[in-house]
Amino acid sequence: MAAVTGLGGIGGVAPPAARLRARRGLGRGRWRELRWWRLAVLVVVGAYFLVPLYAALRFSFSTTTGGWSVSAWTSLPAAQGFGPAFLLSLRLALVATVLTVLLVVPAGLVVHLRLPRLRAVMDVATTLPIVIPPIVLILGLLAAAPPWLKATPYLLALEYAVLGFPFVYRSLDAGLRAIDHATLVDASRSLGGGWMVTFARVLLPNLRTAILSGTVLCVALAFGEFTMASLDQYQTFPVWIVNFDQSNSPQTSVAASIAALGVTWILLLGLSLLGGGRKRRPRQTDDAGGATP
Amino acid sequence: MTMVGRTLGRMEATALPHGGNGGTTVELLGLSRAYGSLRALDGLDLRLEPGELVALLGPSGCGKTTALRIVAGFEAPDTGRVLLDGDDTVALPPQRRNMGMVFQGYSLFPTMTAEDNVAFGLRLRKVSRTERRRRARELLELVGLEHHGAHFPHQLSGGQQQRVALARALAVEPRVLLLDEPLSALDAKVRVQLREHIRALQQRVGITTLFVTHDQEEAMSMADRVGVMRAGRLEQIAPPPELYAHPATAFVAQFVGTMNRVPVERRGDHVHLLGRRARVRPGSTVAGSAPAVALVRPEGLALTPDRHGEGIVTAMTFLGYVTRLEILVSAELALKVDRPSVETGGIAVGDAVRVELVDDDVLLTAAD
Repeated sequence: MAAVTGLGGIGGVAPPAARLRARRGLGRGRWRELRWWRLAVLVVVGAYFLVPLYAALRFSFSTTTGGWSVSAWTSLPAAQGFGPAFLLSLRLALVATVLTVLLVVPAGLVVHLRLPRLRAVMDVATTLPIVIPPIVLILGLLAAAPPWLKATPYLLALEYAVLGFPFVYRSLDAGLRAIDHATLVDASRSLGGGWMVTFARVLLPNLRTAILSGTVLCVALAFGEFTMASLDQYQTFPVWIVNFDQSNSPQTSVAASIAALGVTWILLLGLSLLGGGRKRRPRQTDDAGGATP
Repeated sequence: MTMVGRTLGRMEATALPHGGNGGTTVELLGLSRAYGSLRALDGLDLRLEPGELVALLGPSGCGKTTALRIVAGFEAPDTGRVLLDGDDTVALPPQRRNMGMVFQGYSLFPTMTAEDNVAFGLRLRKVSRTERRRRARELLELVGLEHHGAHFPHQLSGGQQQRVALARALAVEPRVLLLDEPLSALDAKVRVQLREHIRALQQRVGITTLFVTHDQEEAMSMADRVGVMRAGRLEQIAPPPELYAHPATAFVAQFVGTMNRVPVERRGDHVHLLGRRARVRPGSTVAGSAPAVALVRPEGLALTPDRHGEGIVTAMTFLGYVTRLEILVSAELALKVDRPSVETGGIAVGDAVRVELVDDDVLLTAAD
């Protein structure tokens, strides 16, 4: 035992000073140059996103006579068909997202943990909903779906689940590749954890961000999807916007588009907060910088 | 007193799983496992006595990790049995085998603190929150990390993470401790410190331990017995000094430590080499009169400065107590000779020397 010395010195907490030194190493002039580049890129990207939004917003407050009015916004809630269409889109987005996550997460885990050879097949499969035209997907689903489902708008949720599959799977795949999931699973099982415990307490917390990223994309996709809903002749919110634009005030239609964007952003923000909200910090920070490597 | 000594002293009455109760007997009987046409294990037999630390050593692909994973329950053997105190565990899933395992890769759960990691197995066993916190803290103290319980894995160094993993494995009071190259990802200095730590803990706890490594220094320094594996079978299992001094086969001789290959002239059951007659040791693997070489350790050769000697010193490396000399005997034969440094003071590179065999028996293997 006498030979065992200095164990308290094994390991330690890496101080953030290294990052600071690396930054300083850039030099003041180089850093300033970098900051300019970053600012320039930020301005270009910001303009790309914000200019169309600004134009739409400005248009929604304009009148046909060249004046300004808030009537497009105030009349929106009372516009014919607005409420049902909005709620239908929200409901379909929710159902499609839950369906996609429930199907894709277990499937992705099984592929990664038990059938890794299928990963290549899944990689190809995830491209199919993107490259196959919507009408083909619809015809396929109509052929396969039970009659009771065809009679309801939830057929659309199934179609959106197919569309959302690549986004959720890819996001999950990236999350699984970022952790040594095989070792984590083995560690959990060796400590007494069954598959469900391992999934719920070990894998899920580590994949929360990846799953939420996929969920965010799936929600956005389902809420804004137009082609399939239009072909299936359901009055979802995007379909309502187009129909309303053709028969009523285009300003109201644009206001509805911006409102839809706002709702999607709020949903995404909520999901993001859900993803990052449970991060815990150490309860104590003793000798954080005092230990050796 | 060292830190481990102090912590072990403090922990004696409380935290130590088993408290040195002698551990469990582990028997691997006729284990075979094939992956397609590749036979990873080919009838492996191994017995670990209670409280013993056995290291499985071998080159990549020899089946040592497969054996460990079968004991852990992560893989099933094609044939064979794994007995713990006589009970066959092959049909049990890993979560019901009650084994502690430390992995090669960092296996701490990233979203849990060190303390939560250690308490994880206890939580699954429905130990009360207060009790599992107490035991987790005691085990962290045992591995010298009592002040790091609130840190997440990414806030710990590699060595610290492996110590937490060790504490986590011991927390569930396992019947057997399995170590799957737990030090291979660490730098050299931490590796040496941690292996001493693990060995001290294992001896104090008295837990039967199976340790897989490809690092012979680790195996030799930690294990009660070292098993050298080749192609899914045990070539030899013996205490480290015996394995080194009396390798049972040419493979073991060449795999463990440094070995010179010296051409021999065969005469019946004797051979001639370096101007001396020597017996052929059992375990030699040369058929009939096929060309053979003797396997001789660097310390199994002596040298004497001699102007008419057949060897020329081409290099000298000071290694502390010993100095390694490289001797060019002929165009085909260069030898490594280890001699106490105090004896090599009068020798310099370029000197002529006479090289002699120290032992009177040698292990033979087929010449290339």
